[in-house]
Amino acid sequence: MREILEAIGKAIVEGEEEETRRLVEEALQGGVDPRKILEDAMMPAMEDIGERFSRGEAFIPELIVAAEAMQRGMEALKPRLAEGERGRGLVVLGTVQGDIHSIGKNLVRMCLEGAGFEVVDIGEDVKTERFVEAYREHRPDILGLSALLSSTMQRIPEVIEAVRAEDSGALIMVGGAPVTQEFADRSGADGYAPNAFEAARKAKELLG
Amino acid sequence: MTGKERMLTAFDRREPDRVPVWEMAFNEESIIKLGKFYTDDLPPMKFAQQMTMEEKVKLLNTLFTVARELELDGITSIGLLGTEPVDDEHVKDGWGRILRVSEEGEATAVGGPISDPSDLRGLKAYHPQPTDFLMLMASVGNLGDGVAQVLVQPGPFRESWSLLGSMEKLLYHYVKNPGFVKDLAQVATDYILEVVDMAADNGADIIALDGDLAFNQTTLMSPAQYEEYVFPYHQQITAHAHRRGLLIFKHSDGNMWPIMDGIVDAGFDGFHPVQPQCMDIGEVKRKYGDRLCILGNIDCTYLLPFGSEEEVEESVRETIRVAAPGGGYVISSSNSIHPGCKPENYIAMVRAARKYGVYPIDVEG
Repeated sequence: MREILEAIGKAIVEGEEEETRRLVEEALQGGVDPRKILEDAMMPAMEDIGERFSRGEAFIPELIVAAEAMQRGMEALKPRLAEGERGRGLVVLGTVQGDIHSIGKNLVRMCLEGAGFEVVDIGEDVKTERFVEAYREHRPDILGLSALLSSTMQRIPEVIEAVRAEDSGALIMVGGAPVTQEFADRSGADGYAPNAFEAARKAKELLG
Repeated sequence: MTGKERMLTAFDRREPDRVPVWEMAFNEESIIKLGKFYTDDLPPMKFAQQMTMEEKVKLLNTLFTVARELELDGITSIGLLGTEPVDDEHVKDGWGRILRVSEEGEATAVGGPISDPSDLRGLKAYHPQPTDFLMLMASVGNLGDGVAQVLVQPGPFRESWSLLGSMEKLLYHYVKNPGFVKDLAQVATDYILEVVDMAADNGADIIALDGDLAFNQTTLMSPAQYEEYVFPYHQQITAHAHRRGLLIFKHSDGNMWPIMDGIVDAGFDGFHPVQPQCMDIGEVKRKYGDRLCILGNIDCTYLLPFGSEEEVEESVRETIRVAAPGGGYVISSSNSIHPGCKPENYIAMVRAARKYGVYPIDVEG
């Protein structure tokens, strides 16, 4: 069993989508626990990419292909995971109003999914009311807000206030190029991360 | 010295009479807010795409008035590619790219004519039209030869990903389809070479090759990927610009350290904007000041939007102290004067540049 889990991890790290899916199916047919495939092969592979990224050995292209491979593997795995076992938690993610930039948010989505979270991406240029609606609709474990510009970043405290009026205990994470820990604290956010990998780590930490 | 002489001297890494002042871009709102200090004849506050021709002309004239009043040494024009509206938020350009317009910055491609490698063969290349250069022509006509005329053109990386409608897609193909990435970069480069020709024919002095290659932490691609997928095309473009008598610099936000050697080797004459959150301008000056003109560095993320005029002056003073001695420095914001920047702070930045930027530089640490 160790061999196939290692092979799945290697296929993800190398961004081999078809191979990942094929190996996941093979492992499932061989009776390997789906949760074990997720937690002992797939998630560690994404963590490995994250570590290589922080050492300057992997860059965004390697993350993107690994995330694609992970997705393909998940397609095979998801139907076999028991209900209520579909990951570490639910995150609703969006870029605040006025900001049409998507890549930062998309990388965060990839890393969160790689860490086993389910993600509902509500897109870019999202109005404050839409964040509140999405929060009400999905009741996520974490709400993630992104902004790339220092002008649009000013929307973040507004969204936090509006969502907290709906649920005073809402867990909210913020990020994006101009966002700092200080700004996050001032805005009343529960978490901040300087990059996508750290965002996944922080999300895990917030949910304990 | 004229503004143009100042800019060209700085690009030659020699000392002009004072540090040249120039800006990569002003948004519509920023132009109008700055214009209020100098004229009452202003266009209404809206996106250029939504303005009538008369209002667009008024917007350009406001920009020229601001440039003249603040005695800017260079002015930047953008290519005005014709677009047709798709819906309230999107327009389509001559390549067939769907662009999303934004009040906070430039329009960004969200859909392209190419979705996979097989589409490349059927792609109908767009060729630059004389009308794309109307802003440059108006700028040359209005401000004349006294200021450096800079034309912004997206580089091969940005043109490539916008043909795909997504940067992630291009970076995916970096690993999966190297041949496709190179073919696409060549399509983009052939177009850029035509733009360079038309820029030269219409009075440009300097090309600003736009398109971020980095983010706060590091470059978007590895140095090896830069060498393979971007560098050869940068080389073609800088060589062509130089053949046509133009200077050319690379613009990229973010931490460009991993590929700075490549930027120099590719033949660029300068580098902008040395984002202060990611790169120390003193270090850039020490390492590359003998080979590159350095442009930018006055923070437009926090300082120009939220700082005081005194803080702006102090930042200008310190940046000039570090970057200007010996020449080879053009002062500008760390990206552009976007709608979040206080117009008073921009004016304070220009005034401080005049106060501290006289050569020989005499600013104490």
